[in-house]
Amino acid sequence: MSKKLLSLSIVLTMLFIMSFTLTIGAEEVTLKFLHRWTQEPDNSFFEEIVANYEEQNPDVNIDMEVVSNDPFKEKIKIMLGTENAPDVFFTWPGEFTNRFIRANQIMDITSYMEDGWKDTLIDSVVEPFKYEGKIYGAPYRLDAKVFVYNTKIFEEVGVEEPENFEEFITILQKIKDAGYTPIAFGNMFPWAVSHYMGQLNSYCVPYETYMEDLKPAEGDFAHPGYLKALEKYEELTPYFNPSSNAIRHDEARVSLFNGEAAMMYLEIIEIPTVEQQAPEEFKENYDVFVMPWIEGAEGDPNALLGYPEGFVISANTKHPDEAVEFLKYLTGKEVGKKEAQDLYFVNGFKNVVSPGEIPDSVYNTTQLVLETDSLVNWFDSSLHAEIWSVVGSELQKLTDGVATPEEALEEMRDIAEEVRAQF
Amino acid sequence: MYKKKFTPYLFIIPALLLILIFVYIPIFENFYFSFFRMNSYMPGKTFLGLDNYKDIFQNDIFYTAIINNTWYAVISLIFQVGLGLALAIILESKLLGKEKKFFRTIYFLPSVIAIAAVGLMFYYIYNPNLGLLNAVIRLFTEGDFRYAWLGRPNTAIFAIIAMSQWQFTGYIMILLIVSIQKIPQELYEVAEIDGANSFQKAIYVTIPQIKEMILVTGVITVIGAFKLFTEIFVTTRGGPYDTTQVLGTFMYKTAFFYDKMGYAAAIAVIIFFITFTTSVIQISLANRGGD
Amino acid sequence: MTILVLYPMYWVVISSLKTNNEFLSDPLGLPAKLRFENYISAWNQGFSRYFLNSILINIVSVVITVSVGAACAYSLARFDFKGKNIIFFTILAGLLLSPQVAVLPLYKLLIRLKLYNTYWALILPYVGFNLPFSIFLMRSYFISIPREIEESAYIDGCNAFTTFYKIIIPISKPIIASAAIVTSRFFWNEFLFALIFIEDRSKYTVPIGLSHFRNALTTDYTTMLAGITIAALPMIILFLIMQKQFIKGLTAGSVKG
Repeated sequence: MSKKLLSLSIVLTMLFIMSFTLTIGAEEVTLKFLHRWTQEPDNSFFEEIVANYEEQNPDVNIDMEVVSNDPFKEKIKIMLGTENAPDVFFTWPGEFTNRFIRANQIMDITSYMEDGWKDTLIDSVVEPFKYEGKIYGAPYRLDAKVFVYNTKIFEEVGVEEPENFEEFITILQKIKDAGYTPIAFGNMFPWAVSHYMGQLNSYCVPYETYMEDLKPAEGDFAHPGYLKALEKYEELTPYFNPSSNAIRHDEARVSLFNGEAAMMYLEIIEIPTVEQQAPEEFKENYDVFVMPWIEGAEGDPNALLGYPEGFVISANTKHPDEAVEFLKYLTGKEVGKKEAQDLYFVNGFKNVVSPGEIPDSVYNTTQLVLETDSLVNWFDSSLHAEIWSVVGSELQKLTDGVATPEEALEEMRDIAEEVRAQF
Repeated sequence: MYKKKFTPYLFIIPALLLILIFVYIPIFENFYFSFFRMNSYMPGKTFLGLDNYKDIFQNDIFYTAIINNTWYAVISLIFQVGLGLALAIILESKLLGKEKKFFRTIYFLPSVIAIAAVGLMFYYIYNPNLGLLNAVIRLFTEGDFRYAWLGRPNTAIFAIIAMSQWQFTGYIMILLIVSIQKIPQELYEVAEIDGANSFQKAIYVTIPQIKEMILVTGVITVIGAFKLFTEIFVTTRGGPYDTTQVLGTFMYKTAFFYDKMGYAAAIAVIIFFITFTTSVIQISLANRGGD
Repeated sequence: MTILVLYPMYWVVISSLKTNNEFLSDPLGLPAKLRFENYISAWNQGFSRYFLNSILINIVSVVITVSVGAACAYSLARFDFKGKNIIFFTILAGLLLSPQVAVLPLYKLLIRLKLYNTYWALILPYVGFNLPFSIFLMRSYFISIPREIEESAYIDGCNAFTTFYKIIIPISKPIIASAAIVTSRFFWNEFLFALIFIEDRSKYTVPIGLSHFRNALTTDYTTMLAGITIAALPMIILFLIMQKQFIKGLTAGSVKG
């Protein structure tokens, strides 16, 4: 009787088995590659450089996947737990990467680096990829945080780039009095405020102390500089646009572009966006300055917030040599040149671009990164996930004026203590 | 009727296997997970006993979430069930003629749109600068009204709850209309002979007759309130500063943001107990309704 | 009241036909010219893909849920066998279980089965969670079918399977349609599983694609609103065409998305 049913269930079973085993095959080496640029033109750029690589290396097949920025932070944790984790993948150096290193998920590439590779790269931007003396990755693009400001508004109001923090507050007040939004700020996702705090912390807290505090097993944030940094941030809050916690970063950026706001704290990797999206009027009238130094603070006046982004290799890769070759290509000269010309991004390869090859604004801001000897990591990605999640909320409260710097710091110290206990 | 003993099982096995593997086993496993410390990228786990539960009950966000879920449940009961019932009675009364079918369709329409789409729609409606709501308010008021409905802790959760009322009141209304239509016409005729007006008919005939269905819609509204996730995730993601967290988003955040799988599993167990007990109430009510 | 329901939808549709400048300068105004380009641009920026994925997942899930569910419901409605009550109770209790409770172990299970980030990662859990409802719905319908119809089929030499396939299925079309509609409404809506079990952008479903769309298009508001409209349309159309089955299925199940 049930022959048909039997054959139906056989067909169904076959279908299942087929769907499980489709991945088998191919003699050539396949590398899974994951990046986070879903938007154009970056996505096409990656498609192009991957195609070029496959052409140059016929025996290597690159299986590329893309996950956009915010979900990436969640998805990468999941993917590393699976057997088909990517071989080469994007990451932010610092604690974001270090926890995977602690879980033995990322390959140590020190021996490859010391075999001549390291000499081709700029030292200060390889440094972030080190953990306990070993190197784990290579930089894809340099970055730093600067105030991008509208020179026309500055002229109209009669102010100039501030020399120090006190002066900064004075000019912000003048701009506000003139009817402009002094600082455009979109803090719906609190990484935005973390950038302010990262820079202010490194001004107010000695470098070594700050670095120790970022280690989840040791950090207690006991130094009084942290309170000072929070207080300085609080001084800025009256000069943001209203409802900054309700607006996304790129929504706020529109008000900088259309001349409602006088300045905004941007990453230099956003300069290409300025060049692509801002109206001519703005493009012809903008300049940048770094966060003004706080007189009398105990930190490093040369500190500049801005860690590079880069790529690492999974510790579980079956093809370490091929993965390293691909990583060298991704962060090397050929891709770097194309990257600078097509996307206006600069990677960590020594002298990859010369002035004139890319817009001056991009070239000059990049020089800021190369000139400083103390790059400081983004505050959010350098904190343990649990600490950051509490601190992010507290900083949003501070922005809204519903928490004081003292309260925020206390919460931060409490959660740091809780996390310390887990190690 | 059938020759072989195993025939009934052949019919059942595919469905039963799918339910066991993809519903029951994961749910039992979730109970097990909730006693451990574990994360997604590190193999191995540490037994914690009830520590995850203790931690949850000491976490402020947990209480924010419970309060938000409860607000959602209470307001939904008032609007979706209360207003839905009023609309159902009005639309089924003789006051309206042919156009009642039109109204029925209109009011039901929002509930067929995907929640994610509605969430994003209202994300723009509530936008401080270019949103519909503030633009309408600006029409009627002096001054430049630019309130961030989703960005302020005192309004954000209520703005989201309001959105759900917009979406689901018509849905509950339809459920009630269908059961009103099953009421025997004679009951109304008797009431009319006794001289009852429309309002009295609603109070003395309609509502008692559909009592069971009203309870059922109440229960599904409460269950829905504790399953809440998409509405929050696409609008505020639990922000500003965790004031709009609900149990579902709190679970998601602990699992995929804090990397605490075991802790998240314990939150899931709490969701389980709330939704399971409410569902048991629903089933027993439905059975007492005697169909 | 009617205005309150309709105006937000109208606003989204009309705004989706504006230029960004028109939208930014006057959120309530009418567009000077209807810009259908916004729809084309939303469609080309990935929406076509999300749509295809959603439809594919929807169709496969509905077909499996309804066919496997109907077989099971038929057996429970008609046959007597050992363990029937326990099996029925097990399936019925499935109605009480919330997908959120299963999501973390499911995600680990899907990784173990190497189904994570495939269409099956959504289809199989979707089917699992919707079977209890479909079985429940169809079982009560099958019970109401007079037995005589099947008995004559057996006399004509049909076996259990052909009777089910040739006799029962054709006369149960309305209830099958109801089950199909209610489950596909669930699949079209589903967010949590689709968010967690799929990582690859090319496999996103409409709700997930839509929420990522906002990240990519933050300042291109009108294209975003066009995307929202595209996402909402299929279910609205399905509802308007098949209102009766839609409402019948929903009331029979009393479930809420």
